[in-house]
Amino acid sequence: MLGEEMQSGSTVPLVAGERAGATVRGATRAKPRKWPLREWLLFLLFIGPNVILFGIFSYWPMIYSAYLSTRRWDMISPVKVDVGLDNYRYLLSDDTFQKVLWNSLYFAVGAVGGSLILGLAAALLLNQRLRGRDGARAVIFMPTLLSGAAIGIVWAYIFDPRYGLLRTVLNVFRIPSPDWLGDPTWAMPAVIIVYIWKNVGFTTVIYLAGLQAIPRDLYEAARVDGAGPFWRFRSVTLPMLSPITFFLVVTSILSSFQAFDIINVMTRGGPVDATNNLIYYVYQQGFVAFNAGRAAAASIVLFVAMLIVTLLQLRYSERRVHYG
Amino acid sequence: MATRLSRRSVLKGAAGLAAAVPAVKRSSVFAAPAVLQETGSKVKITYWGSFTDALGEAERGLVQRFNESQDEVEVEYQYQGTYEETAQKLTAALAAKQTPDVSLLSDVWWFKFYLNRAIAPLNDLISKYNVDTSDYVDSLWIEGIRDDVQYWIPMARSTPLFYYNKEMFREVGLESAPKTWAELEAVAPDLTRKDGDTITRAAFAHPSAGSYIAWLFQCVVWQHGGRYSDENFNIMMTSEETITAGELYRRSVVDGWATTPQDVNTDFLNGLTASMMASTGGLAGIERDATFEVGTAFLPEGPAGFGCCTGGSGLAILADKPAEKQEAAFKFVMYASSPEGTAWWSQNTGYMPVRKSAIQSEEMQAFFAEHPNFKTAVDQLEKTRPQDAARVFIPNGDQIIGKGLEEITITKSEVRPAFESVQKILEEEAKPVLEAIEALRS
Amino acid sequence: MASAQRVWVSHRTRDSFWRLLGYLGLVLIIVVVGAPIFWMLTGSIKTNQEIYTFPPIWWPEDPVWENYKTAWNAAPFDRFYLNTLITTVGGVGLELLNATLSAYALVFLRFPKKNLIFILLLAALMIPTQVTILPNYITLSDFFGQSWINTYQGIILPGASTAFGTFLLRQAFLSLPHEVLDAAKVDGCGHLRLLWDVVLPMARPVLVTFGLISLVAKWNDYLWPLVVTNQDRMRTLAVGISYLYNPETITRWGPVMAATFFVIAPLIAIYIWAQRHIIEGITAGATKG
Repeated sequence: MLGEEMQSGSTVPLVAGERAGATVRGATRAKPRKWPLREWLLFLLFIGPNVILFGIFSYWPMIYSAYLSTRRWDMISPVKVDVGLDNYRYLLSDDTFQKVLWNSLYFAVGAVGGSLILGLAAALLLNQRLRGRDGARAVIFMPTLLSGAAIGIVWAYIFDPRYGLLRTVLNVFRIPSPDWLGDPTWAMPAVIIVYIWKNVGFTTVIYLAGLQAIPRDLYEAARVDGAGPFWRFRSVTLPMLSPITFFLVVTSILSSFQAFDIINVMTRGGPVDATNNLIYYVYQQGFVAFNAGRAAAASIVLFVAMLIVTLLQLRYSERRVHYG
Repeated sequence: MATRLSRRSVLKGAAGLAAAVPAVKRSSVFAAPAVLQETGSKVKITYWGSFTDALGEAERGLVQRFNESQDEVEVEYQYQGTYEETAQKLTAALAAKQTPDVSLLSDVWWFKFYLNRAIAPLNDLISKYNVDTSDYVDSLWIEGIRDDVQYWIPMARSTPLFYYNKEMFREVGLESAPKTWAELEAVAPDLTRKDGDTITRAAFAHPSAGSYIAWLFQCVVWQHGGRYSDENFNIMMTSEETITAGELYRRSVVDGWATTPQDVNTDFLNGLTASMMASTGGLAGIERDATFEVGTAFLPEGPAGFGCCTGGSGLAILADKPAEKQEAAFKFVMYASSPEGTAWWSQNTGYMPVRKSAIQSEEMQAFFAEHPNFKTAVDQLEKTRPQDAARVFIPNGDQIIGKGLEEITITKSEVRPAFESVQKILEEEAKPVLEAIEALRS
Repeated sequence: MASAQRVWVSHRTRDSFWRLLGYLGLVLIIVVVGAPIFWMLTGSIKTNQEIYTFPPIWWPEDPVWENYKTAWNAAPFDRFYLNTLITTVGGVGLELLNATLSAYALVFLRFPKKNLIFILLLAALMIPTQVTILPNYITLSDFFGQSWINTYQGIILPGASTAFGTFLLRQAFLSLPHEVLDAAKVDGCGHLRLLWDVVLPMARPVLVTFGLISLVAKWNDYLWPLVVTNQDRMRTLAVGISYLYNPETITRWGPVMAATFFVIAPLIAIYIWAQRHIIEGITAGATKG
């Protein structure tokens, strides 16, 4: 979503270097081709353990899921009945599943947009020399550390339409408080708010690390050229942050599609499926209804959806990303 | 496997150290011979439980009392998370063939393990030990029987109970709880407070599907003469009686005297609702946290009279264990549900005593005198009946019905179409269960 | 933002305007993010009644410090601390190692179809935990002839690889000023030395950041450690909190919040320390250069 700005930013001459493609750069430039085989071996050695572990603990379960998605199985019985594509047909015809797809999209757009924009804003702010900045940095990261039930209880208290904290705030502006978690229209915004509250510290910290890596002399040069803060932000900060932004967009979308804890703690997918997303659906079908086939089919749909989104981003967004 | 590891640790004599060192290198070659594995002549068994906090202490206490009461069996207690998580872990453990010997399973989970022959039939052991089955509270005992065979023994059992705020009811001139839904409906407007359109205080409150509205509504359906289903999985969501019960729920929210809060117990404790139906399991906590006088009563009656279901969990023994282990596990199960065991457990947890003689015992009678609200719950227990198959035996049945009820209580949808769609889903989901039952019988 | 266009008219006015805005922002962060946390913190010394009262009680008249004792005694938390320390150190260490080596390989080493391998790694981010639980349990129950259920390596291993970290470090490595890297290569610097002496020091803020994120994830991981352990002696802190949460009756929230805080206390300390470390790393590197 910051793509346009990235693009315009990277045309500014202040920034040195080329616009790199997806991966190729580095070694090939300076070093003569001597021992490509040796380099290949080193590559395998470096990346091997990571890939092998994924093979055992991630890819294998996913392949197994693909197989299960054509079966009917209650996760205990020795018999896995072959049902062909019935599970997928069921999902296509199931009203709940269509709602679940829409919810996942709704959640992803709200949660990713919110945490990225607010995270960048907070990072820029906390990167300034301001008194009390360290304290604010600690505070904004705290929700990321918290887990589970305590978050559910504190936000249920905040959202309560009759005595909640948010009602008090809204009252000041004479806005009536909706029944946040009890109303199918408001439950999703409420869950998104909590998700952003919990995750904005995470994006902030990564953006902060990215900001540290921007050489100061770029800013000095911009200042000498008479650029104001807004222009410096567009011409230096945004393009220099674009690799991090790209990373955050990709990973945030993936993790928002898999947001489970907050929904499980706050709404359990309700009311009336208003916050039931793909991952919660997979959980419900798999671990509550013990319908492994349907859960597997839904997880394959989830996987394919995420894969498509990611490939599109790699293809169209990373071109605009500015590296070194 | 788990038990073997711990036994080995004990044998090593340096339990602490052995526990801290990962057991990688010690392969199965080093497993102690069978004779050594049994320290002394005691049979060691593993028990998977689901309780935390004060209930968890009581569960550990029960195991400890059993271990100290005899010297043939030693039970190792292992906490496995909530009911849901325990069932999930047991599923994984079955796949990995690393099961405990005995496990706690809740009303909605045990059947699935039964269908897969994962839990053991207990009739032989029951007759071998001359267990007086007629002493068990009938509704609780019957629930664990399939085709005349006992699989599931009642342990931590609860029922729905009507809770009311005595002070608020006094304000509208009621000294006791309403006997019928019609009575409650009549005083409901007086109990309700509004600020514009917002109900600031409701007469009654409904939980969400996630908080088991379908468990409570089951009783209301019975009170109206309906059922979710019969024993043979014929779904009866669209019978006139069931619809009439649904209409009561719909009226309660359309007429604006009932709310659907996040947490019904919290609303009740804060005086945001004057009454509710909730599990007897919460009684002790509610009495502890309430700042007003808490009243309890039998569930209100409907046109067809009284109706109340059971709930909670029981014990099952794993089928893949050798006879010796099963027998040892059975001894523990019998202790836990013995008159002494259940009386102790009940007093320490607030769950229902599962034996008639325990209820009659002097000890319990004295306890009732101190806890009149608890007595209400136990008195009501005798009038309960086992739950409908559609809720407890159809996978996810509880949530499927719960969602239909959310449509009525939250989005105020018409009852008939909502229940018609529930009926359709339940019928579809019942098919594999019926097939499995068929396969089991042949 | 309108004033931003003529800000350089006067440095003084401009500076104080931005400073004011900055402090407003800080206050906003502290209030919006901090208020719920403060409420939780004081919740840990309240009774249930005080927690649910409206208007909210920000500081209880009669603090129930007992809650901390109740919470600490509800589970063998000393043992859980030790277990969490071991699994976290192991898990974070392996993740850092895997992320660094993989990212270095992806950025600086030649290999045919490197892009595909990158996408393969990214695919791991798209596989939900829920899907992996049962197969991984079965895999570990008979892992090359041994059961790794109820062991530290059983808790650690499925989380030892990382796509997130690889991706993050790849982005950081790609952004490093390549003049420096080229210069090092011209000097005949080998890959291991390049990684250790040039790349890692320059990427320190991101490394520390990733270490921190990994630390938080491992420390708070709940589902897998619960599934793969059966006994208290192998359990971790996040599982320990669930020993206080009681869906069967009315949960006492005071002890739950108390436990929440004593569980994350070390994380807060490490975070504050790491933040300093990141800043120092920068000022040492960037301002001199």
